[in-house]
Amino acid sequence: MLIGIDVGGTTTDAVIVEGSSVVKTAYVPTDHDNLLNCLLAAMDELIRGIDTSKIERVVLSTTLITNMIAEGKTDPVALVLIPGPGTNPRDYALGESIILDGAIDFRGKETAPLKESQIREAAARISVQGLSRVAVVGKFCQRNHSHELLAGRTLSSALPKARIEFGHRVSGQLNFPRRAATTVLAVATRDKYEMFAADVARALKERRITAPVYILKADGGTLPLDRVPPVETIFSGPAASIMGVLALTEADRTSVVVDIGGTTTDLALILSGRPLLSAKGARVDSMLTHVRAFSVRSVAIGGDSAVRVCRGSSSGSAATVAVSVGPHRDGPPICMGGNVPTPTDALRVLGLADIGEAAGAEQAMLMLAAELGCTAKQAAGKVVDAVVDKIVSEVYEMFREWEQEPAYRVWEIMQKEKLSAQSVVGVGGGAPPLVPLIAARMGAAAVVPQYAAVANAIGAAVARPTITLNLHIDTEKGEYSVAEDGSTGRVTNKNMTPEDAEKLAKKLLVERASLLGIGEYASEAEVTYSDVFNMIRGWSTVGRLMDVRMEVTAGLLPSWGRR
Amino acid sequence: MSGNGKTGLIFFPAFDWAISPTHPEREERLLYTRDQIFEEGLMDLPGIEEYKPRPAEKKDVARTHFCVPDVESQVTEAHLIAAGSALTLADALERGEIRNGFALVRPPGHHSMRVVHGNRGFCNINNMAILVDYLRTRYGHKRIAVIDTDVHHGDGTQEIFWHDPDVLCISFHQDGHTLYPGSGFVNEMGGPQALARTLNVPLPPGTTDEGIHYVLDRLILPVLDEFKPELVLNSAGQDNHYTDPLANMRFSANGYARLNEKLAPDLCVLEGGYAVETALPYVNTGIIQAMAGLDYSHVKEPDYVPGRFVQSAEMKREIEHTVSQVKKIWDERDELVAAALDGMGDFYRRKKRIFYDTDMINENQEEVVRLCPDCAGYMTITTSAQRGYGVLNSAFCVSIPRGACSSCREDAQEEYAEHLDDRRIGYVMMQDKDRDRFKFCNNMTRTEKGY
Repeated sequence: MLIGIDVGGTTTDAVIVEGSSVVKTAYVPTDHDNLLNCLLAAMDELIRGIDTSKIERVVLSTTLITNMIAEGKTDPVALVLIPGPGTNPRDYALGESIILDGAIDFRGKETAPLKESQIREAAARISVQGLSRVAVVGKFCQRNHSHELLAGRTLSSALPKARIEFGHRVSGQLNFPRRAATTVLAVATRDKYEMFAADVARALKERRITAPVYILKADGGTLPLDRVPPVETIFSGPAASIMGVLALTEADRTSVVVDIGGTTTDLALILSGRPLLSAKGARVDSMLTHVRAFSVRSVAIGGDSAVRVCRGSSSGSAATVAVSVGPHRDGPPICMGGNVPTPTDALRVLGLADIGEAAGAEQAMLMLAAELGCTAKQAAGKVVDAVVDKIVSEVYEMFREWEQEPAYRVWEIMQKEKLSAQSVVGVGGGAPPLVPLIAARMGAAAVVPQYAAVANAIGAAVARPTITLNLHIDTEKGEYSVAEDGSTGRVTNKNMTPEDAEKLAKKLLVERASLLGIGEYASEAEVTYSDVFNMIRGWSTVGRLMDVRMEVTAGLLPSWGRR
Repeated sequence: MSGNGKTGLIFFPAFDWAISPTHPEREERLLYTRDQIFEEGLMDLPGIEEYKPRPAEKKDVARTHFCVPDVESQVTEAHLIAAGSALTLADALERGEIRNGFALVRPPGHHSMRVVHGNRGFCNINNMAILVDYLRTRYGHKRIAVIDTDVHHGDGTQEIFWHDPDVLCISFHQDGHTLYPGSGFVNEMGGPQALARTLNVPLPPGTTDEGIHYVLDRLILPVLDEFKPELVLNSAGQDNHYTDPLANMRFSANGYARLNEKLAPDLCVLEGGYAVETALPYVNTGIIQAMAGLDYSHVKEPDYVPGRFVQSAEMKREIEHTVSQVKKIWDERDELVAAALDGMGDFYRRKKRIFYDTDMINENQEEVVRLCPDCAGYMTITTSAQRGYGVLNSAFCVSIPRGACSSCREDAQEEYAEHLDDRRIGYVMMQDKDRDRFKFCNNMTRTEKGY
């Protein structure tokens, strides 16, 4: 038995899955002030009458970190940068920081030394500010982390109680400002996350649930509760829905996932059975990070969006009138006791939805009809058309963005095809009536899977762990480094082949997977990127630079037979 | 200038394309530049917008070049993408999406001339010239200035616009006595109708930031002020850098950034630059920052200290002398044109020999331009190329200019038709820039195709 719980914006959904069937579902309203309690309430509701010893795995998807960041409740952090030459660090939107001299270049060579006295001054400043958390981030630290460690040593001897996080341990992807932002978030969320994780572990123990507990990440993968970097749990809600769609639909399809809620619609893409990750890391509030996340486009439109009639004078004679939907909510739909017409009222009038009072919905459309000069039914048709128009145009914009993603190789430019969706899959409350209309407009099949309402919890329940390992090898220097944890080592073979590099990546991935407690999944890892550059100096080859990315990408547990 | 103030950037390093494995123009060339600009996070900055390149059409190539025997045999997909990158940014500029743009692409192009038999100076097709012709045909621009800041003379670009008084080509470079391609002397100043619209500033080996900025301040910027181009384009080679392995100048990354700040080009296209580790990452970062109006004062090569290179008094005098000579040519441009045209007759002819160093081809050309009172005049080129002792290809090329008069059009068409019967010539080619139509005829098989 697998348990999945997704703490969403309005409800917390929970399911028990056994093999490929859904055994039980439960919902409770989300209490944003006490996520732990609502999570446990959903859990208690779910496991009532269930033999908890049969539970094999529990996966939580929670807005804890997302909310903490959005509400500014993260812990304050001192940011120490070693930027070296390049951009003026003030041009990055990183807030206040302490700048140290010293530089490492793209090959990992030290080109300017650190100054011990400067580090001590930095420590004094941090101590005066009363900060106990420090992020130390150097440019190209992923190619050589000696400066970060050296600065860290001096800082920690001057600030013995401080919690220090290093850029190279958080992300080795190229992009220094994103690494700095991600490192700050990592250290700013860790303490509170650890308290939450301990609370969860204790509460489950009280309920005699001994199964391992995992957390869902933004990339649709799971990691054990006590091993996951907290910042990677942001945006787990959309990730849960997308994984749910993956579980509930045919394999290898190209689909648009449409999650229609009260005031927002989230769009995501599954390309030939693989959820599309955003090309760069996630944007969290105004901060650009290195956190790998699914590409999700949020559109401010939903069942509760306020509908108004706009007048515009076109170039011709008569003034034109048109309905405009959203972006704001102005109370509930009229059919549910509100005062402003909404798409839900329109769907009710057209007989596409059966929630709320028919009379209220009719009245809502009559309000619009009077201004539009048509019948209530026609007004409802116009409202629904406007919603479908908006969503479809946003889907096409997502396609266009994917097609326009920069590429750096000839074959990538020449082979990239145009996207077209085989199916439009709806999840979320507002999806069932609208998805067939959206699909018809796009010439795709409409799919609203059974259990669409709890797709998110199912997604959490059956998502497999993910792990990524980016290996960079410089045979001239005889060194390798791993982007994900900053570990480094020696390579002795100057004539290393791409196959040798992949073998090394595999070995390192297996080690890293077992550290993360997911060793049994390492065998599913595949090489998703591999590159070799010969380094020529003069007219002879002096070495090779190789990059290999090996990963277990988002996928489903093998026990979940597809339907 | 229109646009929302953004700088458009296309980074196309062609990581899967090389002339040959150990050639300077190889996969590795922009690898460290990638590392640096990605690590800087430049693409994330609000003032910078990254674009994906589209491959140029074969027609875009045919508009500029006579490729012998045809476009397909002279270009690879990498060439089309490099040229297309410049066109993609031109479109973004014209749509008002960007204020300026930098096509940081390879392979380069500024040694490619109007007729293309193969690769010379690492170039097959001239990205910059293709951009200029595209801007004129597609967007109706007339007056364009191309400033070639590569250490090598931009001889291809110069040759393509040799007769065009509306395209100002200024190239400063290491003296042709000491460096490939061995041209770019002060006395190369354009065809009789376009004298002084080609300006060359040969500089002594070892010229520093000070010398190059002297050329910029005392010659290039004042000339641009008077020429009043609609667009300024920079053929942005980076091999004036003090660490470049193929040249001997002493220009710094900061010097390059400051040059682009002052020149304020609408579009930049990368040309050469082969100090892949010691120069390119820093020079490119500096140029992008300067174009985007960002602070570039933090860009510094690890071994650079201000004042590291000091120009000797002798070198200073030499540069000042060259600049004054070139300035005089520019100032006397109208008199020069009048004197040249006086008594020249109806046609201008010149013979040329062109050597393709990369492909070891020798080409002989005879170029004839009609000195037409009503239009720019049609042009014919008879070309034959040898490799070793065998004839590689021969062609007769006809070019009809934009805004051609009816008499030039008729004569040009007649010349084309006449040569279709000449079995000694392999290919006959027609470049109708006025109607934007291009055709190639294989004289052996008598098959014609068009773009």
